Amino acid sequence: MSKVFFQVFNLELRRLITYRSDFWVNFIGQIFFSLVIAYFLWESIFSHNINKSINGYTITHMIFYYLCAPLFFRIQQGQGIGFISREIYAGEINKFLIYPIKYFSFKLSTYLANSFFIFVQLIILLVVYNLFFYDPKIYSFSIISSIQFLSILIICSISFFYLFSIVELLAFWFDNIWSLAVILRFTTSFLGGVLIPISFFPNWAQEIIYLTPFPYYIDFPMKALTGKLLFQEYLIGMIIIFAWLICFYFIAKLTWKKGNYSYTGVGI
Amino acid sequence: MKRYLKLYLYFLQFSFSKALQFRVDFFFRIFMDVIFYIVQFLFFEIIYLHTPLLAGWSIEQMRIFICSFIFVDAFNMTFFANNAWWFPQTINKGDLDYYLTRPVSPFFFLGFKEFAANSLINLLMATSIFSYALFTYSQDLNLIKVIIFILLLINGAFLYYMTNLIFLFSVFWTGSNRGYGDLFFAAEKIFQRPDLIFSNYFRRFFVNILPFAAMASIPTRFLFEKNTELLLIECITGSIFIYIVVAFIWNKGIRDYTSASS
Repeated sequence: MSKVFFQVFNLELRRLITYRSDFWVNFIGQIFFSLVIAYFLWESIFSHNINKSINGYTITHMIFYYLCAPLFFRIQQGQGIGFISREIYAGEINKFLIYPIKYFSFKLSTYLANSFFIFVQLIILLVVYNLFFYDPKIYSFSIISSIQFLSILIICSISFFYLFSIVELLAFWFDNIWSLAVILRFTTSFLGGVLIPISFFPNWAQEIIYLTPFPYYIDFPMKALTGKLLFQEYLIGMIIIFAWLICFYFIAKLTWKKGNYSYTGVGI
Repeated sequence: MKRYLKLYLYFLQFSFSKALQFRVDFFFRIFMDVIFYIVQFLFFEIIYLHTPLLAGWSIEQMRIFICSFIFVDAFNMTFFANNAWWFPQTINKGDLDYYLTRPVSPFFFLGFKEFAANSLINLLMATSIFSYALFTYSQDLNLIKVIIFILLLINGAFLYYMTNLIFLFSVFWTGSNRGYGDLFFAAEKIFQRPDLIFSNYFRRFFVNILPFAAMASIPTRFLFEKNTELLLIECITGSIFIYIVVAFIWNKGIRDYTSASS
């Protein structure tokens, strides 16, 4: 099974690097625009602040945050919207019902290949950041925080895969679920902290947000990467993500099972 | 012109019957846009917890700006977004051949055939929020300025679409099926920010070259500020420039188009 997993993973990676110019233009361009927007927005906000720091964040902290947070989010999103629903809609699930391969294993391997592809971009970014803008107050490489960060990222990506799958599998009943997937994206982006760090929310809102899985996808790995996570916090966080993962796993499996009975196998 | 109007009415007819085929998606899409609006308002409300002013605007003025870009977004989602989605795929798969042989402008056919009937509800919703924000604004607003402001926002929706197309037309040369669409979605957030937060060079770039600032921010400043003739000129020149660039790239793309999987 693991052999098939790595073969699918490799094939997907090869597919992803087919259009290299697209890759570099999108990669550099996305970083550029994210940086420009974040820098000028927060500089404008900090200009009204005498301490030049809000909730422990300075402008350089914010720049680092907005460099990494969108990439974390893209890592969690893997293949993006339509990775299952499009196949259901087009009747392409048929082959998976015949092939001697588990559908979720296959999908998870292609999904993680996409996540890995973005992860490589994150590594490039961190290397460049360390080379040219090194500031130990913001980010400095440490083995412990890197291990914490990696383990969180892997569990989070798998957890988000199953959460995303639940929405995608609704295509068995509703055909077109693009809007629902976008809703999930908006919600994760806002409640996860991609748009604005969670510590900027009012305290009562933070308490509610931490009852949902969303902050564990962005805010939590960010704390691990920047070494702001105590070992106890790391353990508790991992248990919570794992609990969400198990929950999403069973719901996704159940939805898949029920959906198969509704599947007509006809490409529309 | 009459022929094109008639054709557009047929496009509308088809779009409505198509939208009613996916009834659940019809409601999901409305719900999606409502979530988008809520997120935008909450984002700025949270920012204003930490600053009294942003780009010189109070929270009340910012709410009008949010309504402006929500209106531009809703207009774009209703009239253009679906076309932008299919445009690069049609070119990439070689389906453009069918449009080139028809006795209608292929740009018109591809660029305007999809009307999102389900987003029309959202456009109405966005218009209502927008009107409410204008009517409840505590300062007096000049009626002529309000009319020009609305026209500038409609122009902003066209600009949004045209700028999106510039990124997507790269598909003529790169051969991928999305062009630089992902890059556009990273850049388009500029139109959801007030242009005065940017430094002078960047601001000029976002007005004249990639006119994100001319979509909602400059029209909103036109509404609030005095001596706004220069803003109007900036907006118009930025728009004309982008329309010329789109026409140029499209014509060049058509010349270089090599049919299937080009």
